[in-house]
Amino acid sequence: MSTPKPTPQKAPQMPADTTDAATDAAAQFVARYQAESPAREAWRMFRRNIPALVGTAMLLLIIGLTLYGTLIYTGDPFDIVWAPHEAPFVEPDFPLGTDYLGRDLMAGLLSGGGPTLAVGAAAAALTMIIGISMGALSGFYGGWVDNLLMRITEFFQVLPALLFAMVLVTLFSPSLITIAIAIGVVSWPQTARLTRAEFLKIKELEYVTAARAIGAGNGRIMWRVILPNALPPLIVSATLTIGVAILFEAGLSFLGLGDPNVMSWGLMIGANRDYILDAWWPVTFPGLAIFFTVFSVSLIGDGLNDAFNPKLRER
Amino acid sequence: MSNSYILKRVAYGLILMLCVVVLNFLLIRLAPGDPAVVIAGEMGGATEEMLEQIREEYGLNKPILTQLAIYIGNVATGDLGESFFFNKPVAELISQRIGPTILLVIVAQILSIFLGVFLGVLAARKPNGVMSAFVSVFATIGYAVPVFWTGIMLIILFASVLPIFPVEGMQSVRLRDAPWYVQTIDVAHHLVLPAFTLAVIYLAQYARLSRASMLEVLGSDYIRTARAKGASERTVLFHHALRNAALPILTVAGLQFGNLISGALLVETVFNWPGMGRLAFDSILRRDYPTIMGVLFFASAMVVVANLLTDLSYRLADPRLRGRT
Amino acid sequence: MSALLQIENLQVTFNTRHGQVTALDSVSLSVNAGETLGVVGESGCGKSITALSVMGLIPMPPGRIAGGSIKLNGEELVGASDARLRGLRGSEVAMIFQEPMTSLNPVFSIGDQIAEAIMLHQNVSYDQAFKDAVALLDRVGIPSPDRRARDYPHQLSGGMRQRVMIAMAVSCRPKVLIADEPTTALDVTVQAQIFDLLNEIQRDFGAAIMLITHDMGAISEMADRVAVMYAGRVIEEASADQVLDTPQHPYARGLIDCIPALGKQETELREIPGVVPPLHMLGQGCAFKARCAHARPRCGTEKPLLRSHGAHPVACHGAEEGWL
Repeated sequence: MSTPKPTPQKAPQMPADTTDAATDAAAQFVARYQAESPAREAWRMFRRNIPALVGTAMLLLIIGLTLYGTLIYTGDPFDIVWAPHEAPFVEPDFPLGTDYLGRDLMAGLLSGGGPTLAVGAAAAALTMIIGISMGALSGFYGGWVDNLLMRITEFFQVLPALLFAMVLVTLFSPSLITIAIAIGVVSWPQTARLTRAEFLKIKELEYVTAARAIGAGNGRIMWRVILPNALPPLIVSATLTIGVAILFEAGLSFLGLGDPNVMSWGLMIGANRDYILDAWWPVTFPGLAIFFTVFSVSLIGDGLNDAFNPKLRER
Repeated sequence: MSNSYILKRVAYGLILMLCVVVLNFLLIRLAPGDPAVVIAGEMGGATEEMLEQIREEYGLNKPILTQLAIYIGNVATGDLGESFFFNKPVAELISQRIGPTILLVIVAQILSIFLGVFLGVLAARKPNGVMSAFVSVFATIGYAVPVFWTGIMLIILFASVLPIFPVEGMQSVRLRDAPWYVQTIDVAHHLVLPAFTLAVIYLAQYARLSRASMLEVLGSDYIRTARAKGASERTVLFHHALRNAALPILTVAGLQFGNLISGALLVETVFNWPGMGRLAFDSILRRDYPTIMGVLFFASAMVVVANLLTDLSYRLADPRLRGRT
Repeated sequence: MSALLQIENLQVTFNTRHGQVTALDSVSLSVNAGETLGVVGESGCGKSITALSVMGLIPMPPGRIAGGSIKLNGEELVGASDARLRGLRGSEVAMIFQEPMTSLNPVFSIGDQIAEAIMLHQNVSYDQAFKDAVALLDRVGIPSPDRRARDYPHQLSGGMRQRVMIAMAVSCRPKVLIADEPTTALDVTVQAQIFDLLNEIQRDFGAAIMLITHDMGAISEMADRVAVMYAGRVIEEASADQVLDTPQHPYARGLIDCIPALGKQETELREIPGVVPPLHMLGQGCAFKARCAHARPRCGTEKPLLRSHGAHPVACHGAEEGWL
């Protein structure tokens, strides 16, 4: 189904616009003279975007804590070390308290981040690989290839993603790898559609014709000419995909479909959910951890989006 | 809108459903181990007798294409197999559970669209105002909160601090024999927290989307024409602009429906809502594959129907698409 | 007797990223009933802002009416309440826009859109308004109007859509009709038809028309009087014949020289060199000085005012001192 896009509307003509147009043209001219690469320009924009920088700092902190936190704060998160439901901020040895079995929540929080982040990143990578391949082939070749691949994409969009992922994980026994694969297999259609749209747009541009004129083959044009130019929206989408994949992993672990031998934030919430009326903290802290991780990722995604499309920001 | 177009879309939907059936079939075959054992469920502790019965019913000793044909034939006649855990036909199990899920999903969808669009329109009136800032912050936060965690936090809040909404189930046991209108109010009362939990993520997204869409439409020439006619600001916003801005919102609403069902799965589990999500959760824990496959089939069918309705309403809403095939 | 529409010393400013710019600088214009005033100038000279000011449709902020007055039938519009302006818009003052392709709402039928304009200002039922809309479509020359009224904008050609816009604009028999470049987006043959239609409508309804255009051909066909605008100011004002035959301001002369004369063999189209300067870079003196072949030192220091020097009002030191 093709969504009709309204033709671009002209704003009422007024001198303010005309003057802006004139200075914009001049600015563009100057910009071209200085010949700054788009990536550099985007980086310059990103660097000035305070929410995006906050997001980056937050994410780096979270990654750092999950990578190195367990080196300093040692202890197995599965070990029962204290009385159950010790309140947080009371016992200095267990700063976040303990869960319903008496397991240290701080240890769980620090060691549970790794699997969550790793599965999120791997699943997002797989999503991008499948999505970009499908979308690129579809948009580049068109015709029956496009038709077939788009029908497959539509089919995958009909399956409720979480349910399908649950089925896959159950059938092939839960481990970090099967979870990452399951999330990747159910989430690629949106990336495929985005890639296809970009390829359809870019393949009509002059530099693609020029590349063809100097004898570049299909493969080269697809991956070396079109793909690099389609990257900005794909990078933004990849960032957001990481966020979605983290939420996905958390959801599966919460339902008890994660790897039972690995502590993760979702699992902590799932394990303690029967006791939420006795103790709020065992579910609150891991939930906040998930929230801040995804929140930081999405701040970065928004920042990248603004950096790549400076015009949209003035809206 | 032409009837042939509707027929075409319905036929396409049926083909998609056929593909779901084939996928279900393949999934059971692809799973490691004897398919009969897979169907019986590892938790069922199946006897050799039961396995033989399954092999017979599904024709597992016949060639694979015959097995597929038997499977498709069974589904087409409404036979989704037998749940060995619940000891009931899957079709019956699902028919008991599908109502609450549809209720939850549709109420959440309506809530999120209406509130989201309302917030978005308010924000679009002042692109640099407080409301706009609120909508974009809210949308980013809404995207990042795990839906099951929102539910749990609301349960903690409403169970102990502010006990005005029930936090579990769909009906009060003590009202089982009450008149129908009391029961309706009771269900609505139970629905508040689950529906709000499910709606809140999408609400934020619709608010952001409708703000952007409204801003684009408000800059267009026909809005100036409407103002030049002497239309009031409210008519301009809600009659002229919103009708056009609603088109992309409608598209997204259709695409989101699958995600909404995924979300409902988690929300039902958290609030003990007696729907298909709860059933999926229970059957997956027990590896009750016939039930799981049945839920996957019906959940997909809901998405197909939702997409069909979206597509048709899109054509009604946009005169430029009417009459095309 | 004062004119039907009287604009006096209108001052409109916009806040832009270059600070506040003056979009209209003491603009005075007037139109009488049954008369057509042509407002000419290149794009960006303030014609459309003048029109939008009369309609009360200047986006505020960033725009602001900083001074002057707009009187319709003696009633002051500057500072009038929103509700009052809304009551006048479409009923007393109506406007036809430049882009018929995008000026109609794509999701409503054209009959509905005209009926809406009628119902906003007259106490009639929808059915009656729709009947009136059909009659108006017939009046503006749309064939089989009762069938066409149920059509949507995308089903009509550009010329048809502009006829619909005209039908909508005259639906409440406005006293003043503002036509902002009504034919710019249309084919030449269709342009002539639209002008004929506007002339007929004016005869039937007795409306005053303010025709905004950059096309001197349209002026010669439609206008009784002409105001030439440049950089937010009126720089020459006279009857259409006077301006076309004996233009005073070098800019007006330039505009008229740009019309390719029939019969004469010209090797190239003439044009005025340079572009309208951005409003925030006007500086002192005459805004046209940089493009004027006759500019003298006084033009760079002192802003010329609109005054009559024998023939008709013009804002030019050269015309005043006779060194053109």
